[in-house]
Amino acid sequence: MTRKNAIVLLLILAIFGFALWTILPLDAERLGREGLNLGLDLVGGVHLVYQADFTENATDADKRANMRRALVTIERRIDKYGVTEPIIQQLGDDRILVQLPGFTDIDAAKSLVEQTGFLEFREVELDDTGQPVKLGDYLQKTTIQFIDKGETGDRIFLNQEGNPIAFLVKEADDIKFVDVDGNPADNETLQQYAMDSLAWIPARGDDGTHLTGDFLADAAPTISQDITPEPQVSIQWEPEGGLIFDEIAKRLYNSGEYGTPQRALGIFMDNTLLSSPQILEPEYQGRGVITGDFTIDAVEELANMLKSGALPMPLKKPPLYQEKVSATLGADFIEMSWMAGLIGIILVMLFMITYYRVPGFLASLALVFYGALILALFKLIPVTLTLAGLGGFILSIGMAVDANVLIFERMKEELRMGRTLGAAIEAGFNRAWSAIRDSNVTTIIVCGILYWMGSVLVAGAPVKGFAATLAIGVIVSMFTAIVVTRTLLRLFVVSALTRRTALFSVDRGKK
Amino acid sequence: MTFDIIGKRFLFFFISGVVILVGIISLATFGLPSGIEFSSGSILTVNFEGPVEHDEFQQEIIDLGYTDAIIQQTRESEFLIRTHELTDDEKAEIETNLSARFGQVSEAQFSSVSPMVAAETANNAVIAVAVAAVGILLYVTWAFRRMPRPLRYGTCAIVALVHDALIALGVFSILGAILGWQINLMFITGVLAVIGYSVNNTVVIFDRIRENLIKGIGADFEAVVNNSLVETLSRSLNTSMTTLIVVLALFLFVGATIQNFVVVLIIGIIAGTFSSVCIAPSMLVVWNNNEWGRFIHWTGSSRVKA
Repeated sequence: MTRKNAIVLLLILAIFGFALWTILPLDAERLGREGLNLGLDLVGGVHLVYQADFTENATDADKRANMRRALVTIERRIDKYGVTEPIIQQLGDDRILVQLPGFTDIDAAKSLVEQTGFLEFREVELDDTGQPVKLGDYLQKTTIQFIDKGETGDRIFLNQEGNPIAFLVKEADDIKFVDVDGNPADNETLQQYAMDSLAWIPARGDDGTHLTGDFLADAAPTISQDITPEPQVSIQWEPEGGLIFDEIAKRLYNSGEYGTPQRALGIFMDNTLLSSPQILEPEYQGRGVITGDFTIDAVEELANMLKSGALPMPLKKPPLYQEKVSATLGADFIEMSWMAGLIGIILVMLFMITYYRVPGFLASLALVFYGALILALFKLIPVTLTLAGLGGFILSIGMAVDANVLIFERMKEELRMGRTLGAAIEAGFNRAWSAIRDSNVTTIIVCGILYWMGSVLVAGAPVKGFAATLAIGVIVSMFTAIVVTRTLLRLFVVSALTRRTALFSVDRGKK
Repeated sequence: MTFDIIGKRFLFFFISGVVILVGIISLATFGLPSGIEFSSGSILTVNFEGPVEHDEFQQEIIDLGYTDAIIQQTRESEFLIRTHELTDDEKAEIETNLSARFGQVSEAQFSSVSPMVAAETANNAVIAVAVAAVGILLYVTWAFRRMPRPLRYGTCAIVALVHDALIALGVFSILGAILGWQINLMFITGVLAVIGYSVNNTVVIFDRIRENLIKGIGADFEAVVNNSLVETLSRSLNTSMTTLIVVLALFLFVGATIQNFVVVLIIGIIAGTFSSVCIAPSMLVVWNNNEWGRFIHWTGSSRVKA
């Protein structure tokens, strides 16, 4: 008996130690998890749900394919903004969920998702000697003038990832550098990219028409017919686009050797370079393939972007559901919830110790164990904590002691009936078990239903969070009451203080 | 240490009856005002740098043409506006006008629900409540399968549960009429949590009645029920007490955003404890003694009893 207790105690201490190691400090990396996974309402952020607006004759297969393409497109746009851990998911058949934790500008988020996107083709600006123009060439000049005077469109300068870092634009009679937000460009950034960044100018046909996505008829991922088949993108132009493209192809083909920037046609989506294939032939007659060191996924994605130029179908506006929480509000909630939890747990301990004395004290120790274990589980599973989820956790603290209360009350009755302390403890646990089990079952049933409801509803995240934390809380509380408190009590019985039943808040003899 | 709880059963029925009746009258008169999650619309919470008067703020919103808007002052310089589903332009217009009038405005929270999602939410909430009711009914039937006359125990547990839900709804209807509170998804969550909690308390007490009936102690059924109640009374009260402590801590610290939820829990815990201790076991006795007629004449006869 005592040996068995000692083993269980060791096990409990080991779990407790493990839980403490996991959560102290909370934001340290443990088993690949860092910090608690906080929901949107606690970190702040934007939550949007859109309804796709399909045409009436869209088939199910079309819808599925278009939904996938839309998700990829939106993901790509959001990636550019550097939002950490965005969630972009399909909801049901024709809805799109976008969650951007930490990104609180809801209007920017909406235009990012809703925008139609602009697909255009560009080429590298050449100087009088036919050499590509770099950002540095412009920076050396005292007064800025376009190097290729015939072209007055914007010049785009890119970083290595193909994202724009600056534009050279002509406004009224003034030519100046601006950044992506349209503000005057930062000189340091310009200097940093001076040597590497090429000037991309609009690719135009002989009559000056800018080649854009409007002229593209189709784009599809295909496999090349070579000895070593490679994924590639086959494109087809509208008749007019085919002519413009051939005019451009001929010019680029004659501008430089294979592999030089002079021979590249830049494909730009919203000022970002998607791909810059080399022109291999002087004439394509309306068709072409983009080859390169592509994966199948990359080819599919590029084909999607080329074909749709944007989202494959419009999204209904306004969104079905939109929510924005500021980061400060979220931080307030976290602080207030910790406060509520801490005060709640302390008051419950005081109550238990005052009312049940030694067992109450042991139950309080078990409660500390409970709190640590729950937080460790939240971190490791990981459970996404929302405000309601924290509410569920705090509520479960109050309910966690219920099992202890049931047991202690039973123990007191057994003691009054004249049993020894050891026997009373065992009887208390055994007899209280059916009540503990039955009473927790109802809570778990309700949690299951709430979790389901939270999952199917567009705005159900808080409900789901509450159900998850409460259910975890109830299950862990049964374990702590039955295993932890019991072991502590048994160990206490073998110590010297057992004769004083007053410590168990029972006056023997008085019934 | 003998309390006669069961002896006062008709007094308890009267208290509950009055509270529920008031609630039902309020429900019939004012209804349950539903939030945007169920009826669609937008909620915009804005902060100002300095304090702003409620009346002035309200006037400004009305002047902007939002006569249907409900304004709530959540802090000295923070207001919540609830109105129909706002378009981007409308929202921008409100914010521009507010900052022109009251200085720098920042948007703390914004949520907007379309009619389609609102309808779905309402439907699913109804389904969830129905499924929960069936699930609990099945569970209660199962839990009391070995009792003599299990149907009676099950029925009394369900009555207690309906009692708690009715009180929560009634109180919210009154709060809605007075303070402009609205029910949302978290309210439904709170009601379901309360239902689970209430049944759990009732089951513990019935469990003890079952045990004592098997042991055969006590003069008659009424005495057995009363003894069982007294034996479990400190458990019932203590558990409610610890739960109430943490819920009150939530109410005091976390407040506004999950206010509905926390208040439902507070009401539900109190009503649930009362119904498990005073109503459900009393009903068992009434049923056993076949005293249904006295519900009608309770005033005259209940004092004679005990």
